[in-house]
Formats: sequence, structure tokens, C-alpha cells
Amino acid sequence: MRPRPRLIPTTLAVVLGAVAALSAGACSSSQGSQELVRVPADAATITDAVERVAPGGTVLVAAGTYPEQVLLSTTDVTIRGEDRNATVITGEGKRPYGIVATADGARIENLTVRETTFYGVLVTGLHDENGPSAHNGDGYTRLDPDKFPPVRRFSIDHVTAANNGLYGIYAFDAHDGVIQDSYASGSADSGFYVGQCRQCGILVTGNVAERNAVGFENANASDSVMIAGNRFSGNRVGMTLISNYQEAFTPQRANTVVGNLLADNAEPDSPAQASGSFGLGLGISGGIENALTRNRISGNPVAGVQLANTEDLAAASNAFTGNAFEGNGVDLANTSATRAPAAGNCADGTPTTSPADLLAPCPGTAAQPAAPLEGTSVPRGTSFLRVASPVAQPDMGAWTGQAAPLPARVTMPDPAGFPVPPADFLAAMSGTA
Amino acid sequence: MSPELSRRSLLLGGGALVAGATLAAAGAAAAIDQATPEPTGRRLSAAGRTQAGVARPATPQRNALHAVFAVPDTSRLQRDLAALGSAILALLDGPSQTPNPTLPDGPGDLTVHVGLGPRPLRAIDPSLPGATPMPSFARDDAIAADRRDGDLLVALASSDAGALRPALDHLLQAVPTLVPLWAEHGFRAAGEGTVARNPLGYLDGIIVPEGQDELDENVWITSGPLAGATVCVLRRLRLDRRAFTALDVPARDGVIGRHADGRPLSGGGPRTQVDLQAKTPEGEYLVPARAHARAAHPSFTGSALMLRRGYAFDRGPDPTSGVDDAGLLFVCFARDLDAFVRTQLRLDEVDDLMTYATATASGSFLVLPGFSRTRPLGSPLFT
Repeated sequence: MRPRPRLIPTTLAVVLGAVAALSAGACSSSQGSQELVRVPADAATITDAVERVAPGGTVLVAAGTYPEQVLLSTTDVTIRGEDRNATVITGEGKRPYGIVATADGARIENLTVRETTFYGVLVTGLHDENGPSAHNGDGYTRLDPDKFPPVRRFSIDHVTAANNGLYGIYAFDAHDGVIQDSYASGSADSGFYVGQCRQCGILVTGNVAERNAVGFENANASDSVMIAGNRFSGNRVGMTLISNYQEAFTPQRANTVVGNLLADNAEPDSPAQASGSFGLGLGISGGIENALTRNRISGNPVAGVQLANTEDLAAASNAFTGNAFEGNGVDLANTSATRAPAAGNCADGTPTTSPADLLAPCPGTAAQPAAPLEGTSVPRGTSFLRVASPVAQPDMGAWTGQAAPLPARVTMPDPAGFPVPPADFLAAMSGTA
Repeated sequence: MSPELSRRSLLLGGGALVAGATLAAAGAAAAIDQATPEPTGRRLSAAGRTQAGVARPATPQRNALHAVFAVPDTSRLQRDLAALGSAILALLDGPSQTPNPTLPDGPGDLTVHVGLGPRPLRAIDPSLPGATPMPSFARDDAIAADRRDGDLLVALASSDAGALRPALDHLLQAVPTLVPLWAEHGFRAAGEGTVARNPLGYLDGIIVPEGQDELDENVWITSGPLAGATVCVLRRLRLDRRAFTALDVPARDGVIGRHADGRPLSGGGPRTQVDLQAKTPEGEYLVPARAHARAAHPSFTGSALMLRRGYAFDRGPDPTSGVDDAGLLFVCFARDLDAFVRTQLRLDEVDDLMTYATATASGSFLVLPGFSRTRPLGSPLFT
């Protein structure tokens, strides 16, 4: 799970205090009755507003800075900022969460979450009566999917997550949701993270991740996950698809990754990737049967794509078709250990590879040779609190009334609608303030 | 009961035991003028659901002798095991008043357990746990052939180092066809429970299964005819202490993942589990990416938690190379062989500590279910 805490020692006591406060709030929670709660006009804080809002209702948050953490446990509630760039929830570098949604049908939109020590926005089914219990893992237990069924139906839209200590926008043990048109920078792990689900029904589209250790990460999220038309550029690592025994549902498999820009992932103004990775567009560790189509993978100085094993799980049967490779240290590299050799990974076109005889034409099945990658000098990490802030991000505009509850299933777009993106794809959302 | 609670109560129980031991020691000192000294350590029953010396006593005895043999004739195995078991019971569980020329002071806390290696297990039934030998790990090619995958293990442990060899020699009279391959006398530093300082000066055995529930979950085979058995792995690791201690202390701590007093680099006390996710604000792991405590963590391999009860050895300089032949006889127990194999494969890939370790003997053994006068040693294999 990556749900486990990364306790930053100097803030440990404060973090524990904050968790206790969250627990107390959750215990006293009662379902409200108001269809629309305005903050601060009707309720002084977002937390107060969430207590008052009726199922299916909306919490509308005016511009302002909100030093709180919000636990949303009422079904079909929308939390919406009135000004994406000026409605700011801050963890002040000491609270673990911005917004945690544990109820079905949550919409989080048009606001900014900054400076939490763990997660900006988290949607998860792993929780108890005291709130999210992900942080209670002791390292020897992991998600029991039968005990904690996934939360369903969520939408994270036009959310900015900056300078968060773990993940910017994070969904695990969650199904049938969309993360779109959002932005994440300065995350000490990954900007966006989707994990631990099968038949997930999750769409990740139109997002920008930059100046993170990893732009987008998927661990053990499989089948119906579509990652389409995003810009994961200017991180240490653009994106990863990984199998991880620490979490439920190994191996990771069968994502559709189409029309993304994975460029220039060698950004020094970012926290370190904890295992030391740098200069990598896409890493696949023990992931299988993923379709990677019409992505632009360019300017990643170590490798465009790196295939590796996770323990005894091989990177296998991943198909690269129609991708535009350019200016990478090497376009496709395989560093798998001999105990779990990569097999059946194929590519069309003429990408450069390491070793030279790595690839077979699609579809492939054969075991593939491996070679170590040449290292590169890795710049020291920047504190997640000191990474530069993003430019102003596009706003959803004025609220136009209560939205209908989210549908049971996400309507996935046609992958054919995502061409190879241009080199300046979503560039207007990129950069520093 | 939550693992936290059971662990806490067990730790409290351990504290009480230590206090008891201290009192007993004081009693022994007062009685030093008595003609016959009391045997060290509390006497343990050799008979039981499981063999002694794996999980009982909870604090491993300070001395051990691990002896590995070839079994030239596996057709005799059922008889040989039964004879060996009878000899163990006669030596350890006999009436304490009977004069015992092998152990004139009595058995004390001497334990003996017996395990079978891959070859005899395959001869009985290739589907038995441990019937498939371990793969060759990194640099295992240097291990001499007669020090790999032996056929039979007799492991003795006692507070009294002087009891080990006489007991082994006595027991071998019952199974004269066994051919000795290698044996190692080991010693443990002072410690509590499974925690003791290893030859590199760091505490080993901090995170192990404790209490019956955790042992049943991780160590014992709990169902079928082999209930009460476990799989033991021995790895005789020559440790390059000179190279390791040439590192400065923070670098040593970084290789291990804990300080010398046991505190994880991620914070907490000497018994705290490492926090694998803890990072600096700059994104670096507090427990480094290639630290042993991270590399060996069972969560990465989805493995059982191994019970570790290793012993140091020191034979002085190797006569040919001049290198000190000293280090750690790594001893672990788990319900399947995979727990160790998966972990060691991972260590070969990501553990900086492996730089300082060279395996010089290696073997895996199915430690047979417990036995008694009515249930001969090894009998569950042949039903």
C-alpha cells in the first residue's frame, strides 16, 4: 500500500496530534441536511461544512486559505472551490492530509491542496470509524480487500496539489473514478498515484505532473485503467507501472497508456526518488500486458522506458506501438534480473534498445536479454516544501448548480482519439509561478 | 488479540524471565561451595509436538553445534531416525537420578533437533517441503560441494558449551552409518529473546515471530502429517569485519539500517520496526534504499517472517588465504523454504551488507515434527 506513513521526524509529534484530532472529529460526525453549504458564509471551515451537508449536496468554498484537513464520509458530496488558485487547503507542512474521501460518489474540484506531509487528496476504502487507517500499517500487514471493500465512484477534477510530502492526488482501494485536468508538483513520492484495484474502472486524463520524484505511479492497479492524454514531464521519473508485494493484487497488468507526453524527466528542482532513479520516462517493474500506444517519450537522459522485475514477477507482454521516441539516453532498456527475465515485450518502429537485441516484433513471447543501465549523476533532492510553486491553473468557472450523482461506471474515451501529443502538449499548465 | 498486544505481553513476560534468571544466578553464586554444581539452564523436554531448540527455549542457548551428515543409504532412514530419536530421549528425558556418563552434570538446557536435507526427502517423496534444493545464490559457486545441501542435520544447543560434543558423539553411536560432512561450533553474544549482537556489532533477530500465533502463522507447518515440522536454512557466512569496521559509524549504520543500539534510522527505540516509507523532506529514505533492514524486510517478497537464531563462529585465520575464518552461522526457520530463498535472491540484488558476507557452507533441512516414546522421530514421513 503506500499508505504507510512517511513520518518526517521533526513533525512526528505534530502529525500524531493531528491524527488524534481527525479521529475525534470523525467519531462525532453526523450526517447533515443542507443541500448547499457555503464556506465561510454558512460554515466557518470546510470541516464544519462537511458535517452539515446532506448526501448528494455541495460544499462550495470561497477563495481563502484553509489550514485544516477534511474527512469526507457522506455519500455523493461535492467539495468545490470557487477559485481553483485561491481556494487553498494547506497542511502547513505539519498535517498529514488535505482531503480524504471515504464515501462513494465524492467529487473534489476546482481547488488547491498544499503542504501536507502525506497526501493532498486521497480517495480510499481503507478506513475505520476513526478515518483513514492506511497510516496504521506496521509494515507487516497490508490491505485486506475483503475487510475493506473499495470506495466507488469518484471524480477529482481541476485540483492543484503542490508541495505534498507523499502523493499529490491518490486513489487506492477505489473503483470507477476519474482524475482529470488536475495538476501535481513537488511531491516527494508521486504527483498522481493509483493503486490496489482490479477491474478498477479508472480514467486518468488531461493532467500535468512536474517537479515530482515520480509524475504518475501505478502499483497493482489493473485491467480497466486508462491513462490518456497526460503530461508527465519534468519530474525525476515520468511514470511507473509496478507490481509490489507490499500491496494487494499483484501483479500489475493491462493498463491502456495512450497519448501521453513523457519528456525531459531529469528535473533537479524536485524531491529525490528514494531509490535514486533519475532521467527516466517510464519504468515498468513486474508489470504485464500493458498497452503503450502513441505516447511521446523524449529527452529522458537515462532511458525512455526501463523494464525490470519485481522479485520473481517479470515485466512481460507489454506492447509498445506507435510511440514517438526521441533524444532519450536509450529508448527501451531491460535491466531485469535473471530470476525473472522480461519476456514478450515488443515494439514497432526502430527504437534504440539496451541491450541491442532486446526487442522482437509485436506480438512477442520470447524471453529477452538484459543489461545494466549506465548510471548518471543524480542531483540532490529538494525539500518538498521548497520546490517551486506552479503557475496559475485553469479554473472551472462559476458554479452552476448541484450536479447529478456520479455514474456507476466511467465512460472510457476511445483510445483512437488520442494521437501522439505534440512536444508542447499542455505546456500552458506547466512552469513555475 | 492484536499482534501489538501479544507482542507487548510477550515482552513483559520476557522481562519477568530475565528477572527470574538473574535471581537464579544469584542463588547459584551463593551455592558455589556445594559439591555438585547445578546444571546451567532450565531443563527442557525433548519430546513434544515440535522438536526442541527451534522455538524453545525462547532465548536461544549461548552455544550450539550444528553437524551435517551424508546419508549413504536412504533405505535405512526410517530405522535410523527412530534410533536417533530414541537416543535423544534417553539422553535428555531420562530420570534425572540415573547416572549419565555422557553428561555427568545432567543435560541442563541441552536441546537437539534433527532435520533432513533435499536428497533423502526426494527419495521419500519429491513433494515434501524442502525436497527441492535451494538455487545457487550469488557467489555460492565458491562453496565446496561437500558443504552444500547435506542430507541430515543434528543441531545441538546448550548453555554449557562443554556438553555439545559429548552429546553428539553419544547420539551418533545410534546411527553409525552417517558420514560427517561439516560441523560448526557457534556462540551467541549476551542477549534477550532472539536479539543478540552479531559479529559486526549490530543487534540481530529483532523482528521475528513471537508467541504461539505468530509462530504458527510463520514457522510451523500446522496441518497434515507434517504438523509441527519447519524448514531450517543454514548459511555459514564468513564476514569481513575489517572492511566493515573501516567504514565510519554512520556508514555502518546505513548498511544495516539501524544504529548499533538497535534504533532504526527511521526513529523509535531498539525494538521498533523500521519504517520503510519514512523519508527526509528531500525525498531520501531514512532507512537507505540498500540497507539490510530494508532489503530483508518480508513485505517486499510477500514471505513468511523467519525465526532467526544464528550463532557466531571464529576459527582464526584460514590456513591457505590467511583471511580470518570468522563470521555468522545464519540459522532460520520458516514454514516453507521459499521464505528464505525469495529473501536471499532479493538480498543478492539490493543489499549492501552482502558485500561483506561470503557463504562457506549452505544447506536446507526439513526439521521433522516433534517426537516421543510412542511416536518415533521421522515416523510422520513414512505413514
